[in-house]
Amino acid sequence: MYKGYAMGNGIAKLTERTNLWPWLLLAPLAVYMAVFFLVPLIDVAIMSVTEPRPTLANYQRVLTGTLYLRVFLNTFMTAIMVTFACLLVGYPLAYLMASSKPRTATLILLLVTMSFWTSFLVRTYAWMVLLGTNGPIIWLLQLLGVQQPPQLLFTRFSSTLAMVHILAPYMVMNIYSVMRKIDPVLIRSAESLGAKGLALFRHVYLPLTAPGIANGSVLVFVICLGFYVTPVLLGSPREQMVAGLIGNQIDEFLAFGMGSAMAMVLLVVTLVILTIYHRRFGLDKLWG
Amino acid sequence: MNRFLRWLGIAVVIFVAAPLVIVIPMSFSNARSLQFPPPGYWLGYYQAYFTDWSWLRPTWNSILIATATTVLTMVLVVPATFALVRHRFRGKGIADLMMLMPLAVPHIVMAVGYYSYFGAVGIVHTHLGVILAHTCLSVPIAFLVLSANLKGFDRTLERAALSLGASPTRTFIHITLPILRPGLIISALFAFIQSFDETVVAIFISGRDAETLPRKMFDSIRQEADPVIAVISTLLFLAVIVGVTAPLVIARIRNRRARLAAA
Repeated sequence: MYKGYAMGNGIAKLTERTNLWPWLLLAPLAVYMAVFFLVPLIDVAIMSVTEPRPTLANYQRVLTGTLYLRVFLNTFMTAIMVTFACLLVGYPLAYLMASSKPRTATLILLLVTMSFWTSFLVRTYAWMVLLGTNGPIIWLLQLLGVQQPPQLLFTRFSSTLAMVHILAPYMVMNIYSVMRKIDPVLIRSAESLGAKGLALFRHVYLPLTAPGIANGSVLVFVICLGFYVTPVLLGSPREQMVAGLIGNQIDEFLAFGMGSAMAMVLLVVTLVILTIYHRRFGLDKLWG
Repeated sequence: MNRFLRWLGIAVVIFVAAPLVIVIPMSFSNARSLQFPPPGYWLGYYQAYFTDWSWLRPTWNSILIATATTVLTMVLVVPATFALVRHRFRGKGIADLMMLMPLAVPHIVMAVGYYSYFGAVGIVHTHLGVILAHTCLSVPIAFLVLSANLKGFDRTLERAALSLGASPTRTFIHITLPILRPGLIISALFAFIQSFDETVVAIFISGRDAETLPRKMFDSIRQEADPVIAVISTLLFLAVIVGVTAPLVIARIRNRRARLAAA
């Protein structure tokens, strides 16, 4: 197909022969990305083995020290929890959209889109208000007769809840885009063959929506692994996540070596997950 | 199963919406610290935002940085997208991957890199530094939008112009660009928003002079939860409401006009 239209096009004909055009068009961006994206990344890699001295000591500490391992484990568990919660929250919402009248579906989609586009900071702040000591949830608990309401803010609970709220739109959009394309004939024929209720869901609907679940989960999980803002602002200082700890190393201790080594571990884990995913489904679909 | 999932869905709608809406009454509250429901209402914190330079300067910085980032991103991405969508050449796979890579790297990792690298070059804590960093993060988003548009481009229109005797340049200016305009606008808008909203890299490299609005908000939430944040949050949320609903409203008006014209 490509050759077909290249024949008729003067520019394309020329470039087809010399093959210089695409390089010329691409060159400025390629140079830019090399200088301002790759170099800083390589800088992190170099610092991780040279700061303060050229050894592998930073990695040794990151991969064996109890504090660091606990933070990594905590990050992983939080990411799994957030992904799972997003799925629990996102699936019914996507289903509601897919099964509603077009007008209602558009309205809900509008709402999800608004949430999606609203700054992380704004949504984090909103949760701070909601969960604060003088906030509506504590107030409601007191109204219901809870004498000593628990501390909600600055706990693992508050940061996890806010992250679920912030990342749920990614899940909803991915699942909805798959649900919308499901041929209703498939559901009807399954019903006519006697599938009902849970069986229909488990054996027909769930497998059909699996690609959306996979997309959404990978995206939410990966974003959550490197999440900085919300855990730092809402979480407990004693139960940090990796990104927060990296920030600390740089900001407070100026420990670039340790910060870089942790950043490299985070980067490698993220890239491994995305590469496995890319092999199976193609990365460009993830953000499409 | 249906009924259960639907009710659950309705509950989730409330979960998604309520936290967004709560910032609006908070912005009119006269409480000094976080308190909901507010003890009373006034416009004092709006006045505070619009008269306080410690808030206006970061706002202006963010607008400036996002605008420059958008221009730089588009200058780099538009030609590159043409190359990647319309040509086949060796190394294209790597080039494609390179465009999307910034999406795969956690921002905190980039923040560490920029902090050290720009520090060594001497542009940390400057507008230029933030613009250069933000452009890298905006490139993949602008590219994804634009390449989707370019892939759907009907090239028979260009061929028609060429066969009617238009030069390639003329064809590009009078046929290709106008058709691609919506894609270009959306792509630029996404690049702008990406930069305007970007928080993590800005926290580490924007410093005092080039302090962006997200950085100022982050610091402020962390230290004292200044009530002015509710005002900014409301304004940002309203901007999102306008931005998200505007296309629908415009489409509806156009439809009505088209129907009137047909009648």
